[in-house]
Amino acid sequence: MIGGKKPRVLVITGDGINCEQETAQAFTQAGFDSEIRHLNDLVAEQFSLDQLSARYQTLALPGGFSFADDLGSGKVLALKLIHGLGWDLNAYAARGGLVIGICNGFQALIRMGVFGKDVSITHNSHGKFQDTWVKVNPSGTRCAWLRGIGSMDLPIRHGEGRLVIASFRRREVLAKMERHGMMCLRYEGDPNGSEERLAGLCDPTGRIFGLMPHPEAFVRWTAHPEWTLQPSRANAPGQGLALFENAYQEARRVL
Amino acid sequence: MFVRIEVAQHPEFADPMANAAMRRLALAHPELRKKVRWARWLDVYWFDFPLSREEMIPALTEVFWDRVLQWVITGNLIPSAAGKHGSILDLMEAAPHRPGKFWALERRFRPGVTDNVAHTAMQAIEIVTGRKFPEARVASGSLLVLEGPQLDEDALATVARDILCNELIETWTLYSEAEMVKSDRFHQERIKRDLPRLMIRGSDRVETHALSGMSQDQLLDLSRRNLWALNPAEMQAVQSHFASPEVVERRRTMGLGDPTDVELEVIAQTWSEHCKHKIFGAEIEYREQDPLAGGPEIPSSIQGLFRETIAGTTAEIPRPWLLSVFSDNAGIVAFDEEHAFCIKVETHNSPSALDPYGGALTGIVGVNRDILGCGLGAKPIFNTNVFCTAPIDYSSPLPDRLLHPRRILEGVRRGVEHGGNKSGIPTVNGALVFDDRYLGKPLVYCGTGGFMPRVSAGRTCQTKEILPGDRICMVGGRIGKDGIHGATFSSLALDDASPSSAVQLGDPMTQKRAADFLLEARDMGLYRAITDNGAGGLSSSVGELARLSGGARMDVSRAKTKYAGLRPYELVVSESQERMTVAVAPEKLPLFLALAERRGVEVSDLGDFTSSGFFEVFHGERRVATLDLQFLHEGCPRLKLEAEWRGRPELPPTQATASFSREGAEVLQTLLGRPNLASKEWMIRQYDHEVQGTSVIKPLQHSNPGGSQSSVGPNDGAVIKPKPGSPSGIAVGCGINPKYSDWDPYLMAQMAVDEAIRNTVAVGGEFGSPDSVFALVDNFCWPDPVGDKDKAAALVRACFGMRQAALEVSAPFVSGKDSMKNDYRGRLDGAEVKISVPPTLLVTAVAKVPDVRLARSSEFKLTGDAIYLLGGECLGLVGSELHAVRGATVPGPRARLPEPRWDSARRIYSWLGFAQGKEQGRLRSVHDVSDGGILAAVAESCLARGFGASIQTEEEPWEFYFGEGFHSFVVTVSEPDSALLEAEWTALGLPWRKLGTVTNTDRLEARFAQPTGESGGISVEVRALRSAWRKEGYWE
Repeated sequence: MIGGKKPRVLVITGDGINCEQETAQAFTQAGFDSEIRHLNDLVAEQFSLDQLSARYQTLALPGGFSFADDLGSGKVLALKLIHGLGWDLNAYAARGGLVIGICNGFQALIRMGVFGKDVSITHNSHGKFQDTWVKVNPSGTRCAWLRGIGSMDLPIRHGEGRLVIASFRRREVLAKMERHGMMCLRYEGDPNGSEERLAGLCDPTGRIFGLMPHPEAFVRWTAHPEWTLQPSRANAPGQGLALFENAYQEARRVL
Repeated sequence: MFVRIEVAQHPEFADPMANAAMRRLALAHPELRKKVRWARWLDVYWFDFPLSREEMIPALTEVFWDRVLQWVITGNLIPSAAGKHGSILDLMEAAPHRPGKFWALERRFRPGVTDNVAHTAMQAIEIVTGRKFPEARVASGSLLVLEGPQLDEDALATVARDILCNELIETWTLYSEAEMVKSDRFHQERIKRDLPRLMIRGSDRVETHALSGMSQDQLLDLSRRNLWALNPAEMQAVQSHFASPEVVERRRTMGLGDPTDVELEVIAQTWSEHCKHKIFGAEIEYREQDPLAGGPEIPSSIQGLFRETIAGTTAEIPRPWLLSVFSDNAGIVAFDEEHAFCIKVETHNSPSALDPYGGALTGIVGVNRDILGCGLGAKPIFNTNVFCTAPIDYSSPLPDRLLHPRRILEGVRRGVEHGGNKSGIPTVNGALVFDDRYLGKPLVYCGTGGFMPRVSAGRTCQTKEILPGDRICMVGGRIGKDGIHGATFSSLALDDASPSSAVQLGDPMTQKRAADFLLEARDMGLYRAITDNGAGGLSSSVGELARLSGGARMDVSRAKTKYAGLRPYELVVSESQERMTVAVAPEKLPLFLALAERRGVEVSDLGDFTSSGFFEVFHGERRVATLDLQFLHEGCPRLKLEAEWRGRPELPPTQATASFSREGAEVLQTLLGRPNLASKEWMIRQYDHEVQGTSVIKPLQHSNPGGSQSSVGPNDGAVIKPKPGSPSGIAVGCGINPKYSDWDPYLMAQMAVDEAIRNTVAVGGEFGSPDSVFALVDNFCWPDPVGDKDKAAALVRACFGMRQAALEVSAPFVSGKDSMKNDYRGRLDGAEVKISVPPTLLVTAVAKVPDVRLARSSEFKLTGDAIYLLGGECLGLVGSELHAVRGATVPGPRARLPEPRWDSARRIYSWLGFAQGKEQGRLRSVHDVSDGGILAAVAESCLARGFGASIQTEEEPWEFYFGEGFHSFVVTVSEPDSALLEAEWTALGLPWRKLGTVTNTDRLEARFAQPTGESGGISVEVRALRSAWRKEGYWE
């Protein structure tokens, strides 16, 4: 570790975000110094992009039900981040910052336009909230968070996980996203009707990553639905931890 | 300006909201569903904002229009927001049948009903404009557009009433095609009219009631008219209190005369059955007409069931880890040296009967507040829910004002989904019970577990303290007219005059903000005591806390309200949701208020706690209530009840000719498909059961998740791991067996206790040594026993049965709740109908799991593993699911009720619970034997991984395979380990026997070979069992 310093992650909470503790815990387990901060405090301080970049190598928007999913999941949280803080996340990434949005955090990133104007997310095609485990497969090499990771089992817990692409130029948008390596995580099955079975996206730099499954909910093996089949592995970490460890390696590199 | 916006999914995309509405329609009215060829769902918002057109357009566009996904229709405010017409015509042109016949149903809230979406919409506009709009108004609703040539006004009215709206809280408008395409509804005047405005004639009036001189009839009439639910003796106690010269004189010096409506309301709330549990405190004379030979001895004179059978039971099982029992909002037990956990289960039956969604939602967020308000406050870490309804395929006519059970179930399910998911609390355990007699009142149990540090900011976290001078602060939601008389209403039978003000919708977001704030404030030491505002509102929360300092003085005009015009008594008793009451030391008040402000949480500083001995309420300068705390809390006269038990009914005849070999396979499939047993996956998956990252054993056992061979089976209980640094966990399970109430409520209660223990130790809860942290919670839901000797006797027997079972296995109760008025009185086709629920006891168990790596799941894991039965000594067919299917008779030679064998129970539970023996870690699977008996348990264990099983017995097969009862488990062990385990079981005296082997055949084979020479068996495909169990198409 350089100078004995741990990389720091800012985990945002407030307004109905509810996975902040386990998300911070996952980062801590991977080696980070995790700080949970209330969005209202950041807004009150007018915590700037410069301050963000100077203090935190990583930013996490955890899962939850911000603003109760009213007006569209993540929508009002995105408005609050845009109007309350005005952080340019692309600039943050360009300065070496890493961003992850999980579930509701991913929905907010989409609504902030981080993945372009032609992508949105809405109700699962079956119309229900669903808590189940899925298999996801990383594709491509762009995403810094998914480097070296193979197929993973992770839980999904959402009612609005169906990614959609602007219908009038769908093919063009998909081609562009493919070209930029943005379509970085896919479901093995089709749990929610998501376009191209997409479970996650990254920006063209690969440093801003959002996904519907919850990697922070699988950092110990005993969280897996089938762990009792192999009790000898009960001490093992879960597959989701690898994402946070990747972030740790990357954040330490730029520290 | 006034604006109406309609937001539609772009027609290129599917419309899951409309599809879900059509699924509900297909289940409720299949013939109507066939008439709908096309449906689309639009969200509708109405605004009255002091903004110009130029300011409004960009704000609305940014907030409401997702261009990828949506069209917005605004009259012509945002002209390019839909297709070529810019109106709903664009949407209609996308319908598959053109020209078609279109209709639209608009749904709006009634004035004053909580509208959370509107509240968020308001915040969103404030965020994007950077301004606050205290005078602005917003409402949300929806528009369901339907197309079908056979649809008519009657059909649409049915859709509106049965699918779209609950007319208690919502209204609807039907638009014909011609009306839809016109843009009248976007006109300023029309929007102004459509925006609900609550018309309350503002009044701060306080009435007084001259009780002195009133006859008993007059007193009772007064109580009835005001929905106080006070009985004659209670009204007389109130009358004589206010007539005593000392009280009269004291009141005179304060400027008070006859009792005020505020005072009488406070007394009514405090003395309500809901708050005071008068039936559980009653003096009871108990007799038996036909005493059971060898039956339990129940005293003939009972001085309070709560004291003798519940608190008294716990007193006989003192344990150092019991930190707080029956004295707070929840029971608190030690987790380790640093942390404690707490548990509370509530019922919300009456509100759920009127509005299932709102009732269950407020039920779950309400019990969350019990946890937040327990000790110095705990963090909710799991929810549980148990629903009892009539079968959802109920097809007889419904008595007046009752909702169809399918609608009840879907509503309460959605309420728990929203309440739990939006609060970030995993819903980990529950049950569904179906019986025709829940038609009149469904039972909705909501439970929550919490976690707290044992010391917080230097204070012991399990206790509360209040000093005179501490401020009374109300935190969270605002007060409205909603929820007035909830406590007294639930203390009455449901009838067709039940008030709609007793119905509320919850606001999980406001509560989540308040909860986050309060836990932060707790850790900073900013308040001294906390409790929730539930039944009875401020009258109960402040009235209860006042006992700690010896008095309270508050000015209710300082309380934040949803709208002006509430009368003082309404401010005091309203049960508006999302509110906590805390005691804040005066020197901490500025810090407390500042943190609340930063967290966007509203606080009303209402007054201070005192040591005056009085509960004093002011409205501004005016004194509106002064009640002697001693009288308020101790003055309620004791109820007297008579109870007489008729004895157990005669056992049913047997049907000796029934052939297990011929009928058994079909019976097994029938049983697995009974709603009581069938898969609840459709429900469980809609609850987030894993948020907080603590999940260890889940409600469903899922194999090959995400893969093509994915399959599930049921688990018995749940295990979570609440503390990252500790290997320990918490197990939770429940037991509920109302079907045995018809035979003997004593037995029913014993079974509930036993089943809760089974489910909890099965998954790894510790049990059996004085150090084993294992606690029970009781929830009685009864038909009114007042004036009914049978129902009172059922209650007495259940309480004593519960007590006896708990004492036998040394499991203390830590918390409980009862609901005693679960009756419906109404009409069906003009004739009077009364429906009472069967006496129903839910027992919830929580236990520490010493190390979650020892937790267990229910499914068979490997081919060749040996299958054993632990227990199984005295199972019976009478009262079983099989008996329910057969009706009049039970098959086979023997008709008997199950009986407990407590000595065996202690051995089995102590072994499974790690107190005895050392080889438990070798168990591969554990599944308890409950509904459907041993064969159903084996079948369920086959489901999750798709293994088969081959089992056999030397006993009579009907009773052996399908009998139900006490302390039995199906477990598996690897073949090499089996000798070791058999030796340990034998050494410890556990009743066990080998049943057979796990196979990879996709067949369940169950044989029998009796010593009499009779033999035979069944063989059934596991695939068929799974299909029966999944019961697809039955659930929503």
